[in-house]
Amino acid sequence: MTTTNATLSAQTLLTRELLARRRPGYSLEAPFYLSETILQTDMEHIFGKHWIFVAVEPQVPEAGDYITVDFGTNSILIVRDDDMNIQAFHNVCRHRGSRLCASQQGVVGNIVCPYHQWTYDLTGKLIHAKHMGDDFDPSGLGLKPVHIRNMAGLLFICLAENPPEDFEQMAAEMTPYIAPHQLSQCKVAAQIDIVEDCNWKLTMENNRECYHCMSNHPELTISLYEYGFGYQPNEDNKADLQRFQDIMAANHERWEGMGLPSAEIDTLDDRITGFRTQRLPIDRSGQSQTMNAEVASKKLLADFVDPALGGLSFWTQPNSWHHFMSDHIVSFTVLPISATKTLVRTTWCVHKDAVEGVDYTKENLTAVWNATNDQDRRLVEESQIGISTGAYQPGPYSPFTEGLVEKFCNWYVNRLSVLTR
Amino acid sequence: MPTPFYAPDFAAPVSSPWNSDQDETLRCVHIRQETHDVKTFVLAANGPRNFRYLPGQFLTLELEIGGEKINRCYTLSSTPTRPDLVSITVKRVPGGTVSNWLHDNVRVGMELGAMGPSGEFSCFKSPAKSYLFLSGGSGVTPLMSMARALHDLGSDADIVFVHCARTPADVLFAEELTLMARNMPHFRIALVCEQHTPGSNYAGHLGRLDAARLAHIAPDFMQRDVYTCGPAPFMAAVRGLLAGAGFDMPRYREESFSFETLVADAAHAPVNPEVAVENTEITYKIDLQKMGKSFTCPSDQTVLQASVAAGFRLPSSCSGGACGTCKTKKISGTVEMKHAGGIRQREIDQGWFLPCCSKPTSDIVMDR
Ligand code: FES
Ligand code: FES
Ligand SMILES: [Fe+2]
Repeated sequence: MTTTNATLSAQTLLTRELLARRRPGYSLEAPFYLSETILQTDMEHIFGKHWIFVAVEPQVPEAGDYITVDFGTNSILIVRDDDMNIQAFHNVCRHRGSRLCASQQGVVGNIVCPYHQWTYDLTGKLIHAKHMGDDFDPSGLGLKPVHIRNMAGLLFICLAENPPEDFEQMAAEMTPYIAPHQLSQCKVAAQIDIVEDCNWKLTMENNRECYHCMSNHPELTISLYEYGFGYQPNEDNKADLQRFQDIMAANHERWEGMGLPSAEIDTLDDRITGFRTQRLPIDRSGQSQTMNAEVASKKLLADFVDPALGGLSFWTQPNSWHHFMSDHIVSFTVLPISATKTLVRTTWCVHKDAVEGVDYTKENLTAVWNATNDQDRRLVEESQIGISTGAYQPGPYSPFTEGLVEKFCNWYVNRLSVLTR
Repeated sequence: MPTPFYAPDFAAPVSSPWNSDQDETLRCVHIRQETHDVKTFVLAANGPRNFRYLPGQFLTLELEIGGEKINRCYTLSSTPTRPDLVSITVKRVPGGTVSNWLHDNVRVGMELGAMGPSGEFSCFKSPAKSYLFLSGGSGVTPLMSMARALHDLGSDADIVFVHCARTPADVLFAEELTLMARNMPHFRIALVCEQHTPGSNYAGHLGRLDAARLAHIAPDFMQRDVYTCGPAPFMAAVRGLLAGAGFDMPRYREESFSFETLVADAAHAPVNPEVAVENTEITYKIDLQKMGKSFTCPSDQTVLQASVAAGFRLPSSCSGGACGTCKTKKISGTVEMKHAGGIRQREIDQGWFLPCCSKPTSDIVMDR
């Protein structure tokens, strides 16, 4: 044992020790939120070996459209090629390593390195490199590909050489839920990046519970039932809880009858590609996550005629959540920048024929989540500060409202335990 | 046609070599109309002769035209592997005194003063594994001589034979080239015509011989020994094109086939636009708005070529419309653009263009 340990990196030893100490039902120890070493482990094993949600298909609607996605020290280039296939590459030139595309989005004919103009076509093939001599063989110098999957309009990448195969299982189960909303027929109406001064896991954990919702999210809870994510029953809320259960049952039946799968699937901590979905009722008119719970866009998605389709929620490990409604789709992707900085990218999509100012306004469309994101940012940043004081020690999760946080941590701990074994 | 002027006795020993000091004249024994304005004059010595020369060499004709003695060199289009006769192939050219005189006056049986042969332009002087023969117009003659000799010798030389002409009707030796290509396993021909002839079934390249086309015709041209003959601008273009590609120039050889046609052909020779600035009829004005400068661009040059010629340094890399490095907003004007993926239709619609692969079709104002 000692001889094996001697060959292990300090990083692995630290990670193993912390993982071994983790107490189920309790939040993680401080180093998980503070340590750059642990962030390296996260980047290598969590963001390096799992399917990461990075973008929606409407971000690259036409041939030549590209986006770049940066996280940790990675920069990934996603382009739509002339055959309308979506390709992903490391955004790094095969000559001397220059970053190829510096902007977050744009249009290219071919992919040209700004440094010495090595030119790659949209399949990554090197097609032009000046001054390299007659014997120069460009064939081995194409862009390094990255695995990418388009699940009904949601783009996932995987940096691993052999990505987890259970993505296909998720796609098979989730596509019937998502496909009716026809994300590929949407356009991006707004996309807003915020940077939170906290570890990415705090962002995710905060998202996986609504314990904090009633007291922190006045805008969100106009449309969101507070009971959707677990609640401790008591005498006072018994009737309300029951009413919510009844609404849910009635709506599920109605939606299922319309061809919209609604039942919960939860594989958050028992699959490599863990996810959870459920179509949840929306309060009041039951239509959309807006300030009055009515649709934000008059032009409904797909061929929907009924605006009251609730909100299909979809959570993926390790880094995304989504709400699919009758009129718009909101997607969130969480990407670590460092141990204590995290990018939260929110993307609002509406039907591609919806006209801004006529069918919707950006302001109304984004109001709820702009407010909510800002409130959440404050919450997680305060957590980060508190944890950093040194007085923090892991506390117990609520068995009623923090079950999904526990599942997030279980998944994380299990995956790291397997991968750093 | 009259009976053959000269009928050799094939049973007799090999006849003595032709010696221009003794044999001061050659007699025309046959005239072939090759195209509407090209004739081949087949010449014999007075008596059995064995013509020995290097394919690619030329004769000097000594003629008296209008009471004046005129000497003119003509490449032999014949091959020494058929040693009994020689031939020259002459194009009638506007203002070409000697060529036109030959066309108009020479009849079978007529004697012509001749000296030679001489010249250094022959692949038989330094044989190679593979060749690229590039001919423009009637500059095909020395290359035809070489090809015929290699063919007759049963050579399996690897030859790409490129013949550039103005129209399909001007192509020389088409059937014979096809026959040689059929007989020789590694002989390939490529025809490049500037314009189509209405009604012809021509299926070769249309346009001019430029770098892209050459790379398409002979992707391995860098590995070949190159022999070029044609009008001066044609050869200059080829030189520029090869030098531009980094070709090992000691393996490049050229021959101007006739002083007279060289000059006369220059006005309409199929040439690379880069060199033929003086031949262009239409020239457009290109304004660089931000720099407050302008230059002119002939209609057969790309905007980038003309800008370089004018001393401007506009960004570029591939020069072939692939990399987009030269991409520039066009404020006004029209171009004909042949890109290779370096620009999107959406960008073109927004007014962008690639100067490296765009020829002007009007005056242009660029956002540079
Ligand atoms: S680093 Fe990309 S071309 Fe040189
Ligand atoms: S220089 Fe490459 S496209 Fe013009
Ligand atoms: Fe929240």
